[in-house]
Amino acid sequence: MAEPAPRQGSAKIIPIKEDVLYEAQKKIYARSVSGIFATWRWIFVWFTQILFYGLCWVEWNGRQAVLFDLVERKFYILGLVFWPQDVFYLAVLLIISALALFLFTAVAGRLFCGYACPQTVYTEIFMWVEKLFEGDRAARMKLDAAPMSARKLGLKSAKHLAWIVIGLWTGFTFVGYFTPIRTLMHEVVSWQLGPWQIFWILFYGFATWGNAGFMREQVCKYMCPYARFQGVMFDPDTLIVTYDTERGEPRGSRSKKSDHKAAGKGDCVDCSICVQVCPVGIDIREGLQYECIGCSACIDACDQVMDKMSYPRGLIRYSTEHALKEHWGAREIVRHIARPRTLLYGSVLSAIVIAAAWALAVRVPLKVDVIRDRAALAREVEGGRIENLFRLQVMNMAEEPRRFALSVTGMDALQIASERIVEVPAATTQSVSVRVRAEPDAGKRGSNRIYFEVRALNHDDVNVREKASFLLP
Amino acid sequence: MKQMIWILWPSFVVGGIAETIFFTLFDPQDLQIFGVQHEMSRVAIYSIGFFLFWLMAAGSSAFTCFIQRRADAPYRCPLPACDRPLGCPKREEGGT
Ligand code: SF4
Ligand code: SF4
Repeated sequence: MAEPAPRQGSAKIIPIKEDVLYEAQKKIYARSVSGIFATWRWIFVWFTQILFYGLCWVEWNGRQAVLFDLVERKFYILGLVFWPQDVFYLAVLLIISALALFLFTAVAGRLFCGYACPQTVYTEIFMWVEKLFEGDRAARMKLDAAPMSARKLGLKSAKHLAWIVIGLWTGFTFVGYFTPIRTLMHEVVSWQLGPWQIFWILFYGFATWGNAGFMREQVCKYMCPYARFQGVMFDPDTLIVTYDTERGEPRGSRSKKSDHKAAGKGDCVDCSICVQVCPVGIDIREGLQYECIGCSACIDACDQVMDKMSYPRGLIRYSTEHALKEHWGAREIVRHIARPRTLLYGSVLSAIVIAAAWALAVRVPLKVDVIRDRAALAREVEGGRIENLFRLQVMNMAEEPRRFALSVTGMDALQIASERIVEVPAATTQSVSVRVRAEPDAGKRGSNRIYFEVRALNHDDVNVREKASFLLP
Repeated sequence: MKQMIWILWPSFVVGGIAETIFFTLFDPQDLQIFGVQHEMSRVAIYSIGFFLFWLMAAGSSAFTCFIQRRADAPYRCPLPACDRPLGCPKREEGGT
């Protein structure tokens, strides 16, 4: 909580620690920066955004390659089709993502936050737009402080217009992953969007605009659960953005020519550039803070300062707690990447990935549900035989129409009296009613276990056995 | 503002999870409302469902926030001590 700034003249002030209705938020004017890590950040922005904006337009087998079709209740990912029954794979995917996050965090801190998190990526894009219209840090601060004028209004509206366009396109793309994007585009152009589609495009667009334009670092600080529990994945061998206190302190300004070592000064020239570039507005020189998203902007910034001063780079750098203490070099740090924690995360992760890949590879693209006809339990038909009625839901999960042969086993002389071949179109569910007959003395009175077997014609490995019960009076 | 975030944000996440689980298990077309077959599209049901889940979770968050407030909260001064008017006894002694 913000502590109220003591006012001069007021007697003793006890800061109020709780129930402050809102925290006065200082707007952060991050200065833009260039350098190795900034380049990497932009590479990731391009990579993730080309993937996000582009993937929904890719075709596969005459349909959208990646489509989470909510209306049809089917998820298409390249050659695979997932049904609601496949929720198991979704759970596995979540576990894999979580473990990968643990592993990356243990090795190199908040890599995800700094480079791949949508919050960071969109903030980066929006800040770039902001800089385009309003200039860099100093110019923006001046503009915000200035009274409203035609120029200010123009710049601000142009910026917001650009932001809104990006937001809307993002919202459109997002919805395009849930309803086929080409149809959606067509509906947009011909002004025929359904109310819910309009709503979700606006909703997501608004969220993008708000999060990347205004909330920015506050999302990381106050809303993101990952930021709060990152600490448990860190250890003294985790690579983090750190300031080399030993080398930098005591900080202080100096002229370039002076011999600062002789004057008892460290390498930090106290120019505060590292604070100005920080998107979350912290001072890395105070040590690791939970707000730091590991974006490395301060590394790039400080390296430039060091270059100017002709000091060696790396006053702020990726390092580990141990390395700083023991003065390790890069090789020693790399050697400590393999340690019990990372090995554990890594082996569990690879085991699950392999198991999931195997499960996917041997997945049978056919599912059958057997439902007893509740209206008619068992009835006698010609020849004194007993007939039971079943309803089979045959799900053909392959993307081609298939013919399936039905058979029953489990009792003597059990027999299907209805159609024994069903044809199911590609990726659909067909419901067939099946009449099964047995001799009245083939089993005990009441329920008898039987098995339905469904086998794809021409694809012998595609078969499913489902149990059911046959009633004898 | 902070309270709004506390109420709306966790409930948004919970609403999303509840939505996923619920509609993975149930097809909107199979649902009946008061025993009557509805005629809404799946997308409409998904959307309405999501907002209902969100609303319910938000209700729970709001309730938590409410009972977390101190019982005397309505009688406390919202201003930090140094911002209270001159002459206010609580300006000098601080407190709430
Ligand atoms: S302290 Fe450095 S790495 Fe951390 S968020 Fe700020 S600029 Fe990025
Ligand atoms: S950028 Fe480097 S030299 Fe400048 S204040 Fe930060 S740590 Fe010190």
